[in-house]
Amino acid sequence: MLLSVDHLYKSFNLGKVQAVYDISLQLEAGKAYAFLGESGSGKTTLARLIAGLECPDRGEIHLNDELISSDSYHLPAEKRAVGFVFQHYALFPHLTIAKNVEYGISGNPGKRERVDEMLRLVNLEGYGKRYPHEISGGQQQRVALARALAPDPKLILLDEPFSNLDNHLRQKLRTEVFTILQNTGVCSVFITHNSEDAMAISDEVLVLREGKLLQQATPTVLYNQPSSSYVARFFDTLVDLPQALLESFEYHGEKNKIYFLKNHHFRVDGSGDFRANASVVRTLCLGKDYLVEVKVGEYTFELSTPKPPESSEIYIGWRQQDLLIFDPENSR
Amino acid sequence: MLITVVIGIPALYVFVKLFDGPGESWAHIAEYLLPKYVKNSLYLALICAFQTVLFGVTSAWFSVRYEFYGRRILEWLLILPLAIPSYITAYAYAGIFDYGGSLNLLLGWFSLDVGRIDLMNINGLTLILSISLYPYVYVACRAFFLHRSQNLIDASQVLGKGEVQHFFKLILPMARPAIVGGVILVLMEVLNDYGAAKYYGVNTFTTGIFKSWFGYREPETAIYLAALLLVIIFALILIEQKQRGTRKFAINGGSERQLQRLKCSRLKQIWVTTLVALPVFLGFIAPVIQLVYWAVISYVKIDWIALLHVILQSLSIAALAAFCCVLVATSLLMAKEWNRLNWVNQISKIGVLGYAIPGAVIAVGVYIPGLYFDKWLIDFVGQTFSTKIGLLLTGTVMALIYAYIVRFLAVAFNPISASREKIQFGLVQASQSLGKGAFSTFIKVELPLLKPALLGAFILVFIDVMKELPLTLILKPFDVQTLAIEAYQFASDERIIEAAMPSLLIIATGVLPIIFLNRLVSKS
Repeated sequence: MLLSVDHLYKSFNLGKVQAVYDISLQLEAGKAYAFLGESGSGKTTLARLIAGLECPDRGEIHLNDELISSDSYHLPAEKRAVGFVFQHYALFPHLTIAKNVEYGISGNPGKRERVDEMLRLVNLEGYGKRYPHEISGGQQQRVALARALAPDPKLILLDEPFSNLDNHLRQKLRTEVFTILQNTGVCSVFITHNSEDAMAISDEVLVLREGKLLQQATPTVLYNQPSSSYVARFFDTLVDLPQALLESFEYHGEKNKIYFLKNHHFRVDGSGDFRANASVVRTLCLGKDYLVEVKVGEYTFELSTPKPPESSEIYIGWRQQDLLIFDPENSR
Repeated sequence: MLITVVIGIPALYVFVKLFDGPGESWAHIAEYLLPKYVKNSLYLALICAFQTVLFGVTSAWFSVRYEFYGRRILEWLLILPLAIPSYITAYAYAGIFDYGGSLNLLLGWFSLDVGRIDLMNINGLTLILSISLYPYVYVACRAFFLHRSQNLIDASQVLGKGEVQHFFKLILPMARPAIVGGVILVLMEVLNDYGAAKYYGVNTFTTGIFKSWFGYREPETAIYLAALLLVIIFALILIEQKQRGTRKFAINGGSERQLQRLKCSRLKQIWVTTLVALPVFLGFIAPVIQLVYWAVISYVKIDWIALLHVILQSLSIAALAAFCCVLVATSLLMAKEWNRLNWVNQISKIGVLGYAIPGAVIAVGVYIPGLYFDKWLIDFVGQTFSTKIGLLLTGTVMALIYAYIVRFLAVAFNPISASREKIQFGLVQASQSLGKGAFSTFIKVELPLLKPALLGAFILVFIDVMKELPLTLILKPFDVQTLAIEAYQFASDERIIEAAMPSLLIIATGVLPIIFLNRLVSKS
């Protein structure tokens, strides 16, 4: 195990804000991970704890089975060999690109070669003599990556690496960065609030909420078997199915469970294991999908479908296997 | 526009005179004195720059990076040396290190004798100027360190660098614009200084101007020297802009996190406290103690009624000058805003250059054109109205106030303009959309919002005028006396003990507003 975190706690403002609350996790060498969460979920704090930029209140962090953080021991960030790509890159404005990349390399021989190698890796050969403000945002991003990779870290953390970029550039760079990191074989952790980014660039996603780790799983598992409605909502819009509504579909649920369905799992052509009468309130075209507001009994909700309903009175249905069932504590 | 031209006259006049040829004793001065002036002034500037950076940068860095005993108090005590004009610090130190001075007296109690440490030379002068001027560097660097560093320090740390490396590889080179900005102010003050250099017997450009003015009675020579000094100063400004070049030191976007303070062991805290307290002690506490001591022993000699008279004159002149400065600065700012023409903006920049020009140069530049103006006015009025009038500008308070405005306009302009920029343009537009014209928008919206800045600007100019020596010395009317002049005259007459009381009064007028401003700043 490359990194293991055990029962980590961290609070700010004298305990008023619990940024990280009892988090345990394990990361393997060579894999790509994503910390997914909204702002305030503790994902950045967790990353800063791992990098050694913060000290935990309780709990331990081990890197390669060596203790690096506990409530009584703190290996300073500069001795951890953990790379960090900052949200706003934090490139040193007074140094050239080459000097920025060189900054973290220790030992003189081979320094220049290493810088060249890094610049080649991120496709910025020939940019060494420029200053950070002379290159574009995407290029700055890659310089930040090259700089973090140059000292050959065992683990690299990337804090919201794509949040400053527009959508088109973001997708392009996401692929690029992923390829670069795969080539180096370093274990990487992306910190992001964007579920699509998280799915696209990681082998495993760790979802955080209010300082707690909700689920650690591969993108497929996470998508198909979310551990809570909160996790599911990262990827889809959920429709709440109260018992009375379920009855309309002639489905008899258990008393202590909460039921949801992703809004695109409803079918408007009358197929499915459970069906009910619905009247269409309105239909909106959103491009490749339609958003249909329907009324079933006294309940009104919106569903998403690739084909618009053919009449105003329809049958809607869904399949048993698509139903999401959670305990009440997992459906906040 | 008119304001700018009027403000620009002294500098322009002095500059034009450079091509006019100097007076008779120029040959003598050029041969025997000029090389010395140049050498001394440059030496002073260089060493002072180095020493103020040493004091200013270290104290700024320690005070923002570490938690230590008395940090909160020391943080603003570090600014206080600015409240003491450097010539007064110079007098005080002369007293401390003299034969039978305070240091000897003190060491005498422990039966130690160090003899006389001779401070009255150029090296002593650099030390005096440095300990009284380092706050310029301190203030500039402190602001920089506070707001721009944590993200980059984090980056440096995860790249494997320690605290010492952060400072030398990152903080110091990045702070260069802030440091240079502070140092430029220091250099202006060094070149402006007359009182301290005169008292320590060091011949500089400024003392040279005085010597040709009062000694040789040759205004042409004085102007020529002033013009040369002006050239040096503009060269300085150019060099600074050039070396900055196209490089940007600002950090791209993003929320900057405030620097986090490091906690350290008790022993280290004591160390840091001592280190940070040292400039405060040297620049403020020691000279004030010396002055208080003198004031106490000269207490019986003080002519209180005469002193009160001087105090009142001094305060009213300073208040009047400060008021005029704020008024002119505000109208300049508004003119700039209402007039969208670009060249007006460019011109308004010239208006605020005055602070770069030494007081003695401005004084010369005001005095001589003023004389011509008066002659013309007397002739004109005499011919058209057949009445006789006296000198209107020369040797009157008006000329003095005018010169103060020329010199200190920037001091008022910069804070007001900075504060104006913070007012959202939307507010002005909102007011205009509600049917208010530019002027009533200014009165109803901008003026109330600018109030703290106007007050701050007033106080800054007020302190500066209270301290001002060389300009006042040349331009003051005979019957007008300021505290600064009083202190200077006592000191030159070797009645230095009696200089203590007026000096302390100047310091008090400087310290009180700083405390007030500090409160204002920490509140908001």
